[in-house]
Amino acid sequence: MIKKTMNEKAFHLLKEKMEQGLLPQWVITDPDIYDLEIEKIYGHTWQFLGHETEIKEPGSYVTRWMVNDPVLLVRTRQGEVKAFLNSCTHRGTQLCTADRGNKKTFTCPYHGWSYNLEGELVGIVAGNKVYGEEMDKSEWGLRPIPQVASYQGMIFGNLDPNAESLEDYLGEMKWYFDILLGRSGGMEVRGLPQRWVAKANWKATAENFAADPYHVQTTHRSTVEMGISPEDPLYAGYGHQVVMKNAHGINVITSKTGRARVPYQGTPESMWPLFEKHLTPEQLDIQSKVTVFVGGVYPNLSFVSPIHGTEGHLHNYLNFRMWRPIAPDRVEVWCWFLIDKAAPEEYKEDAYRGYLGSFGPSGTLEQDDTETWARIVEVSKGLMMRDKELNYNSVSNYLMGYSHVKPDENFPGPGTAYPTTYIDALSRKMHEHWLELISKDMFEKEVSR
Amino acid sequence: MSLNVQNKVTADIHLEITNILNMEAYYLDNRKYKEWLELLADTITYRMPLRETVEGVGVSNIAEDSAFFEETKTSLRTRVNRLYTKSAWVENPSTRQRHFITNIYVEATADPDEYKVRSYFLFMRSRASTSDIEQMFGERHDIIRKIDNGWKICSRTIYPDQSVITTMNMSMFL
Ligand code: FES
Ligand SMILES: [Fe+2]
Repeated sequence: MIKKTMNEKAFHLLKEKMEQGLLPQWVITDPDIYDLEIEKIYGHTWQFLGHETEIKEPGSYVTRWMVNDPVLLVRTRQGEVKAFLNSCTHRGTQLCTADRGNKKTFTCPYHGWSYNLEGELVGIVAGNKVYGEEMDKSEWGLRPIPQVASYQGMIFGNLDPNAESLEDYLGEMKWYFDILLGRSGGMEVRGLPQRWVAKANWKATAENFAADPYHVQTTHRSTVEMGISPEDPLYAGYGHQVVMKNAHGINVITSKTGRARVPYQGTPESMWPLFEKHLTPEQLDIQSKVTVFVGGVYPNLSFVSPIHGTEGHLHNYLNFRMWRPIAPDRVEVWCWFLIDKAAPEEYKEDAYRGYLGSFGPSGTLEQDDTETWARIVEVSKGLMMRDKELNYNSVSNYLMGYSHVKPDENFPGPGTAYPTTYIDALSRKMHEHWLELISKDMFEKEVSR
Repeated sequence: MSLNVQNKVTADIHLEITNILNMEAYYLDNRKYKEWLELLADTITYRMPLRETVEGVGVSNIAEDSAFFEETKTSLRTRVNRLYTKSAWVENPSTRQRHFITNIYVEATADPDEYKVRSYFLFMRSRASTSDIEQMFGERHDIIRKIDNGWKICSRTIYPDQSVITTMNMSMFL
């Protein structure tokens, strides 16, 4: 494997700055850093592939990407979920280019090799007339994604066969996934994910969702101007920011009183007994107090469960999005709408409209987010920004709550919970984890000391 | 379905409808969103499903279960009103945009005041002082009706040709 590396001096300067809560700005879009990230972070972490309701029937499939690795995610005849590299084992042609569908076999358009749902090579044009007897079909099946696992219907893949299990990787986040995805007995995806290309760096978008309720008052000020959001500049800051292992995190945003503005996020009352049935008392306590959940699974899966609408009535939904890096200053955003299977059909429909009116490329909130993401990468190529020696000291401020906000020991959920969401604790954790991953095995002596 | 003779599309009707669509594009390109709303019937359904890549020839590649817009007049008004606030940053500073509307095809319906109109769009946008050009293209299917002597768009379905959108957001109307 090609080992990308990093200048040792730059590494130490970086580490030093980051320990002070400062992030040198050049790391956002530096092309060498980007290459390192793809190899060292995306090559070893669990990445989201899809939700099990996207491939319900035997033979259902969707095509996905793990950064630049093409993935074919299928439901086999036995109902199992499998993921393969979406590339023919003959000459490497992309096997299936459809977004989704249902099939028994996948046939390559180049020379016609075909594979079944188990990924086995089942057909070779002209068979042993061209290959003779030495060709053993079983050696040429589709290459499986090294690890595939799911939790609460969320299917993930990992390119590293030696990576820790998905359950271990998610760790404390499982407890919050149980609320988000399991509160009423399971969620379903509606349709295809929306996809669009935003001018942004994946670290900034992941941070924007997972760790930055502080931006809400300003970036989404138009909703304050329209009287949809409260005037109080702290309104998105009430609640807790929870920092977890592997730099996952969640913000449980409540309100000034510590209670939700509407009970159970405005979901129909008929669903509340399901919440009581599926959640522990501690989880129910959080679900009953929350206005918005927003957070992320490191490195590039984010989620938000808000209450929104553009028609005068508000609905709750769950939005997951994957930030697929395509360049240091570009992400392809994949945006899924999820809703409780148990919700009344009419509520599902209204919630979908509420989603379209708020998040996704056409969402009135997210439109303004894209502007700030773009403004970060558009200025990142300057000499002062790109100064790895830090003579110009171009660093970003991550000092919110740095030394004065202490964790709240009484918070009922796992993880380290800070008693405000206007804090940079999770961002700092994401940076720290990022540096640890990209520099792994690089400066052994220094790091392990 | 057989149509009455008087329902045929005359050159005048074609011209009137073409003018309406051009007027609409002018409103949108010049941020006259309130005037634009006036062109829409109060009962409008305004939709934009996703385009998807599927295998097969002659099969639909519109993902009807997935959308970018699924709007009513009320929700469009909310979107418009937001664009008149100072802090809709996506349009402040405002983007420069052009809607190029072509291939207008008008079809009569059983109702002499109602026409089915198909048009192509090319949307282009420039933002801030960057040199990037954003674009989107596709087709629109409208129902346009004469109400009290004025033309109103009663329904619109927008079919984008891209399955992955290359404008960095969709603050525009198409
Ligand atoms: S490349 Fe697929 S059959 Fe040859
Ligand atoms: Fe935001």
